[in-house]
Amino acid sequence: MSEMKKIKNLKEFSTSADRFEGANLLCPGCAHSIIVREVLNATNDDLVLSASTGCLEVCTAVYPYTSWDASWIHIGFENGSTAVAGAEAMYNALKKKGRLKQPDRNPKFVSFAGDGASYDIGFQWISGCMERGHNMMHVVLDNEVYANTGGQRSSSTPIGSSSTTAPSGRISYGEKKNKKDMVSIMAAHQIPYSAQVAPNKWKDMVKKIQYGMQVEGPVFINAVSPCTTEWKFDPKDTMLLTDLSTDSLVFPLYEIIDNHELNITYRPKNIVPVEEYLAAQGRFKHLFKDEYKYLIKEWQERVDAQWDYLNRREEARV
Amino acid sequence: MANTGWDEFEIGAMLRTFDGKIDDIAGTLQEDRAYSPNSSFVASVADWRIEKPIFAKDFCIDCQFCWIYCPDMSIIARDKKMIGIDMDHCKGCGICVEVCPTNPKSLLMFDEHSDEETELAQWPAKEEKK
Amino acid sequence: MAFDKMELKDIEVWDGNFAAAQALRQCQIDVVAAYPITPSTPIVEGYSKFLADGYVEGEFVMVESEHAAMSGCIGASAAGGRVATATSSQGFALMVETLYQASGMRLPIILNVVNRALAAPLNVNGDHSDMYLGRDSGWIQFDAYCPQDAYDLNFIAFKVAEDHDVRLPAMIHQDGFMTSHTAQGVHTLTDDQGYGFIGDFKPMNDMLDFEHPVTHGVQTEEDWHFEHKARQHNDLMTKVFPKIQAAFDDFEKLSGRKYNLVESYDMDDADVCVVCLGTSVETAREVATEMREKGIKAGVVGIRVIRPFPFMEIAEALKGVKAIAALDRSSPNGAPGMLFNELAGALYNTADRAMLSGYVYGLGGRDLTKKHLVDLYTELQANVDAGKVTTQLQQFIGVRGPKLSFL
Repeated sequence: MSEMKKIKNLKEFSTSADRFEGANLLCPGCAHSIIVREVLNATNDDLVLSASTGCLEVCTAVYPYTSWDASWIHIGFENGSTAVAGAEAMYNALKKKGRLKQPDRNPKFVSFAGDGASYDIGFQWISGCMERGHNMMHVVLDNEVYANTGGQRSSSTPIGSSSTTAPSGRISYGEKKNKKDMVSIMAAHQIPYSAQVAPNKWKDMVKKIQYGMQVEGPVFINAVSPCTTEWKFDPKDTMLLTDLSTDSLVFPLYEIIDNHELNITYRPKNIVPVEEYLAAQGRFKHLFKDEYKYLIKEWQERVDAQWDYLNRREEARV
Repeated sequence: MANTGWDEFEIGAMLRTFDGKIDDIAGTLQEDRAYSPNSSFVASVADWRIEKPIFAKDFCIDCQFCWIYCPDMSIIARDKKMIGIDMDHCKGCGICVEVCPTNPKSLLMFDEHSDEETELAQWPAKEEKK
Repeated sequence: MAFDKMELKDIEVWDGNFAAAQALRQCQIDVVAAYPITPSTPIVEGYSKFLADGYVEGEFVMVESEHAAMSGCIGASAAGGRVATATSSQGFALMVETLYQASGMRLPIILNVVNRALAAPLNVNGDHSDMYLGRDSGWIQFDAYCPQDAYDLNFIAFKVAEDHDVRLPAMIHQDGFMTSHTAQGVHTLTDDQGYGFIGDFKPMNDMLDFEHPVTHGVQTEEDWHFEHKARQHNDLMTKVFPKIQAAFDDFEKLSGRKYNLVESYDMDDADVCVVCLGTSVETAREVATEMREKGIKAGVVGIRVIRPFPFMEIAEALKGVKAIAALDRSSPNGAPGMLFNELAGALYNTADRAMLSGYVYGLGGRDLTKKHLVDLYTELQANVDAGKVTTQLQQFIGVRGPKLSFL
């Protein structure tokens, strides 16, 4: 097993040589890029990467440019995870057969995909990868919407959000269904590690990514990725929105080890009301009309209940 | 590459990031890498900017918040110090300014055409706590 | 070596599936990512069993769908090694998206397709609907007529596909059940001969070369896409046939078995002939011989390589023939059949421009009987005698109910 990169503090982390390049075509203020950097910089080991079709993919490999410094592949919308799984299988085959060109390396296999490519169209492929035990990590860049195609709802889109296919209107408050709990679903595949992360809490993120890279077997990471374009906020406020998402507990940070040990990894000192999180985003603007204010109250109750559930699981060590 | 014909590139639309061999990418800083013309590192998105960040070194405490939260790898940190901004890759989002904790801020956004020396000369003073 | 060789008899009694599985073992595939579907399943089961018994070394990834099977193959192939899988019918249809991606990324994956009808209505038996579905996907397509061909063509396919001047994926087609589940005598190669014929895999643009990172699967829009697709088509049109011919020649030297892009039978002086694919070629040959005893100068042209289409070679093979029947084993659904169209294209600018008629037969595994072919040759001879096509241009044969013909 390779030696883990030592990252005591941010100053030390800042000596990392990025393996993801600028002049990509992601929107100004896009959180995808921040998450990708934190994941890649968590290790100095070689990387074999994939991206499923989506914002990250179409913005980082537009011919004749690539923004990737490690080997990278994109096939389609649904199968980025399986592309990496195939590469991992080839690595194992060539290792057994003594045909690796650089046999002393310890490559990490990581697939990136949006929530559409993970929660919806790529769900089966990811489930297969997790179930089969590939030594790989799947990272969801969860912006709760099909941003690349212009803002359609996905099964990660939360109640009350206005998207182009579940818009708010004269008689509708937008999305009617609650978000799918992918971290639990993936943990239920009996994988060694499943976690939720956020780019503002970089240390928590790096710790989880490093754990995930060291552990043998498939790892699932869900990363909140505030989308300036579809959540409708000023690009400069990406980190503010990330802070609101974690500190309101809309995106609680936790991990599930071997599907039987849940740890909450971040407890906000001051828990922010969900209302503040919602108020900062254009996609929830209509919820502040009198007739929909009950939805905000329900949001808060849902978040409180989820937080309570996580706490109970942590306490019970299940 | 703009006028390359169908017979002039690698099959499969495959791209290489580097010219020749690179032994240890994670251990090699950008300035020491032999990027190929196909790495977006050699491209520029400077023309996306309406506003640009200006860095006032005197106030910087090298906390590296701007480095970690920059979505465009545009905060240049070397030996744990913030040494400048990569203006070819900065899209002018302004996150670095928002996350800068110093008082006054060490990074501020200005109109793309503003003059750095002028702005540095009239940098805001420390804000008193109310 | 961490696996054992297998001693084979000179002639083994194998069905087409097992013949293909043995070829994959002898080619020492590094990764097979696969999903079961009738009638192709025994091919990947075979590889998996060889792996379990220590007769091959590699990774078998049993995925959750055919789409994932080809996706895994693409990832594995891009990583840099020898990759193969097998499928049929609905599984093939589910794979279609990834077939285009594999060829566009120039990954030399080998896919054994055991031809089967496409639903609805659901049917497990052999016709050429899946094979035809793949014809614009940018893959090289070889057609086997019997288990021996299915065995041999796997070696030839690897040799051609993996050649650095080619780097295109290839399919080996065999007819569902008629070939895949019919045991026949198959002349074998020894393990050393088989592996020696294709040699070690030579990586190219491999993701696992950490000193030369690569980006695979980029986006190209109107400013680049056309050039890339043009390059792919150019390489299919100009580079593949010479390599296939060279592989056929080398294989003949090794085994004594001769393959041709277009397989002509009794064509030297033929007045009438049928052009067909798969197991029908062998039936047609038998009937053609019998027709000659009746005084009809009959021949058969089998197509060995469907893509790239041997346009010039087929025109050459059909030179001097007066009446030709194109046999399509796939519902054309609103058009003349694929073979009819390709032949029409190949013959239109020739001096002879023989009479061409199309026949649709054998859908969903319906037998093509010798009587069908006798009637067909007789009809062709009638055309020759009348100096014109006396029937409609498209006829269904072997279907119950009132006579179906069009055009």
